[in-house]
Amino acid sequence: MGCASSIAARDSRQLGFPNSENDGGHDAKNLRVKLVLLGDSGVGKSCIVLRFVRGQFDPTSKVTVGASFLSQTIALQDSTTVKFEIWDTAGQERYAALAPLYYRGAAVAVVVYDITSPDSFSKAQYWVKELQKHGSPDIVMALVGNKADLNEKREVAVQDGIDYAEKNRMFFIETSAKTADNINELFEEIAKRLPRPSAS
Amino acid sequence: MSHFTFNHLHNFHSIRDSYGFALRPQFAQRYREYSLIYKEEEDERSDKWRSFLEQVAKSSQPSSSENKHIDRLKPEGNEIIEKTIVDRVRKGDSSDRNSSEGTEVEEDNSLGRVGEGDDSSGNKSVSDSSTGNNIGKEQHRSEEIKKHKVQQWAEIMPSLTAIDKIMCSRVKNGKNVKGEKINGNNNRLPSIEESEPVEGVSKEDMQEHVCTNGTPEDNALQDQESPEFFSPWKELETLVQGGVPKDLRGEVWQAFVGVRTRRVENYYVDLLAQESISSESKDQDASSVAFGKWRKQIEKDIPRTFPGHPALDEHGRDSLRRLLLAYARHNPSVGYCQAMNFFAGLLLLLMPEENAFWTFVGIIDDYFEGYYTEEMIESQVDQLVFEELMRERFPKLVNHLDYLGVQVAWISGPWFLSIFMNMIPWESVLRVWDVLLFEGNRVMLFRTALALMELYGPALVTTKDAGDAITLLQSLAGSTFDSSQLVFTACMGYLAVTEARLQELREKHRPSVLDVVEERARKGRVWKDSKGLASKLYSFKHDQAPLVEERKPTEGGGMVADEDKSELESRSSNIDELLNSLNVDSELDALPDVQDQVVWLKVELCRLLEEKRSAVLRAEELETALVEMVKEDNRLQLSARVEELEQEVAELNEALAENKEQEAAMLQVLMRLEQDQKVTEDARRRAEQDLAAQKYEVHVLQEKYDNAVASIAEMQKRVVVAESVLEATLQYESGQSKALSSPRAAPAKKTGLLNFGLGWRDRNKGKQESGESLSNNSTPREESNNKEQDR
Repeated sequence: MGCASSIAARDSRQLGFPNSENDGGHDAKNLRVKLVLLGDSGVGKSCIVLRFVRGQFDPTSKVTVGASFLSQTIALQDSTTVKFEIWDTAGQERYAALAPLYYRGAAVAVVVYDITSPDSFSKAQYWVKELQKHGSPDIVMALVGNKADLNEKREVAVQDGIDYAEKNRMFFIETSAKTADNINELFEEIAKRLPRPSAS
Repeated sequence: MSHFTFNHLHNFHSIRDSYGFALRPQFAQRYREYSLIYKEEEDERSDKWRSFLEQVAKSSQPSSSENKHIDRLKPEGNEIIEKTIVDRVRKGDSSDRNSSEGTEVEEDNSLGRVGEGDDSSGNKSVSDSSTGNNIGKEQHRSEEIKKHKVQQWAEIMPSLTAIDKIMCSRVKNGKNVKGEKINGNNNRLPSIEESEPVEGVSKEDMQEHVCTNGTPEDNALQDQESPEFFSPWKELETLVQGGVPKDLRGEVWQAFVGVRTRRVENYYVDLLAQESISSESKDQDASSVAFGKWRKQIEKDIPRTFPGHPALDEHGRDSLRRLLLAYARHNPSVGYCQAMNFFAGLLLLLMPEENAFWTFVGIIDDYFEGYYTEEMIESQVDQLVFEELMRERFPKLVNHLDYLGVQVAWISGPWFLSIFMNMIPWESVLRVWDVLLFEGNRVMLFRTALALMELYGPALVTTKDAGDAITLLQSLAGSTFDSSQLVFTACMGYLAVTEARLQELREKHRPSVLDVVEERARKGRVWKDSKGLASKLYSFKHDQAPLVEERKPTEGGGMVADEDKSELESRSSNIDELLNSLNVDSELDALPDVQDQVVWLKVELCRLLEEKRSAVLRAEELETALVEMVKEDNRLQLSARVEELEQEVAELNEALAENKEQEAAMLQVLMRLEQDQKVTEDARRRAEQDLAAQKYEVHVLQEKYDNAVASIAEMQKRVVVAESVLEATLQYESGQSKALSSPRAAPAKKTGLLNFGLGWRDRNKGKQESGESLSNNSTPREESNNKEQDR
């Protein structure tokens, strides 16, 4: 009689095995992600990062030379945590020569433009092309129109951003580092779109 | 001199250090701890420098008098300057803190000087006038130029002339090797010559300058250098490593960079004039597009350079703008690159505008040649060199970083590009700059970076992931307040890192960088085409510098040029573009003799062919280098893959172990089952045995029962017989008693006995019947029970 019940217990353990692997592969629950910010100079890349990581906004932030690094961890609703390792790159065109150093191996690229500057929007398109050519093939890309608080000076229509993002299978959002609008949403949405190791 | 103003900044709302630079709040406490040490160090070094300068002034009396002789040609308030400076040195740092009334005024003056360009012009002597009537009021000689632009220029103080001379000779030597840079620049900027007839004068001026300074003085210097200057040089090196006093820093830096020799009179002013002309005109040619781009970028970056720094007010930022624009004009192969804004800003805090310009020119053109150009080639090369040095010096640390997937260049790149500005505390930045400018090359960059790695490597090794490692290093570097420790570790610990060694490593790594750059250029042709003249000029300067000038005459002898072009297929398109852009400005004055040209061009053709051959060879070399790189890259990838696989194996092993455990458990269960089975089997067998025994018993009982029944039947028979016998006997007896009829008592006894016998028989009969009816359908056991009852 007792033997039958012990077999049942074994079975349940066997069923539980794949689950326990999920727990054991702790990384499925705690993701680490290299993220790189690209975009024209002065569009607010550093401000977006500072807003996201420190919750601060400095209207007179200083020029980024080379690149700077910050990291931030967020928790999602499904109780996974995502640690973003953020490389904020210099915006000037010639620093593009150094950009591959930072976007190589990045899982996420956030391409930022300034909604008041059509130049910065075309620069963003350059970055998207560059990433499609040289970035890792499964990179998650987001197109971000920053300075949404300056809507009265807008020169890039929302629809243009949406269309371009859609064409290139990117996630699109307009943010304002100044008012903190959509900043957390941007990173949360990115986190949701990350390929999960458990799915593979 | 505006650095004097730094003392007044303590009550500024954001936290700032004594230089007026913003402090990160988390380091404010550390800074306060160190500010006392800084003050002590400052006092000490003021004393040291003062005695050194006095000593040098004495020992080089003849040369300095000679120098004064030259100076007298351009009369100035040297004596007064000297006096104030000696005063200042004597007072040392204490005057900074306690700021007596007198110095206070002086400080205000100097602040005004930096800030209020136009307003103070009234007080200043006009550049060419040799009267200098208001010298007493002004330390700075200024030059007034059309459009109210005032450029400020100050001669280096006489007490520093000894240092200045040594350094200037270095600049000259360098210049000779590099083929007279400024001259070259003039050639590359034909528009200067056109728009500015004055430029011709300034060019002559400069040549004169170089000549007069060059020939007699050089010789004199060389004579003196070995016996007399050797020991001061060593001593100076030690002093520099100990730090330059705040008050002297601006001027000492100029001396280090050799500003006096670099300077070309009116050059800065002309650049500015040219800039203002071209910014007004709306030219659309390639070069003005590039300038437009830089202008825009500079405009964006000006407010983002030391934001909130109290000395960089509106006027200060105007100076910054002018300096950067002038530099872009001066060297279009660099133009403007982010990071330069910080350097220019720092220099402007320490010296007048034009001095800052020439210092800046020295740093960017000489010390950091090729660093901030469009392709940033040298800065990429230096990163590879640094990585190699790291691997050599800190193999463990680099291994750990490799393991975490951190590339050294991620961190060191920004360090090098910003020359540590905003990366380490300001006191340390300035101390590093002291040494770097003194040494005249980038060795100190490497030594400092290595020192930082030495200081913080042990902490880095404990980190568990890439993010933590980088964050930790950034924050540790940002807390390097012990500037003396940093500089001494750098200078003493890495003596083997010399310019020669670095050059060797650079040669080794440059090909791979050039390869990548070329690759990008080829792929991104469309993108690159939109780039301005600058990048074209740059690529020319680097592969074909002399060709540019030499090519101009080929417009005349086009045929030969065509041949040339076919020889240089790959470059020809570039040349065309360049020539087109140059044609816009260039004038073909007089055609030289055509035949000479043909001969000359033939020679040139041969030379180019040879160059082509060597280029092909080099290309092959580069290819092998690339293959190696790719291999290395693959190796990295492979090692990452191996790691991944190892992890997988570990996981699988774990799974296997668990499986085994389960198997064992299953086995146990099976065994238990078997045992159980055995037990049941035994039980069954025993039960069977029992059954057999019981059957046997039943059988036995049946037999007994049969016997019993048989015996009962026999008994009945006997009873019947006995009855009949008894009846017969009774009949007989009754017959006899009738006959006798007397003994009555005896027959009564006999009846009683008979009754008993009959009663027993009846009772028995009834029982037997019921027993028989039961036995037909009852179990043996019940039968046996009956039997027992019967018994």
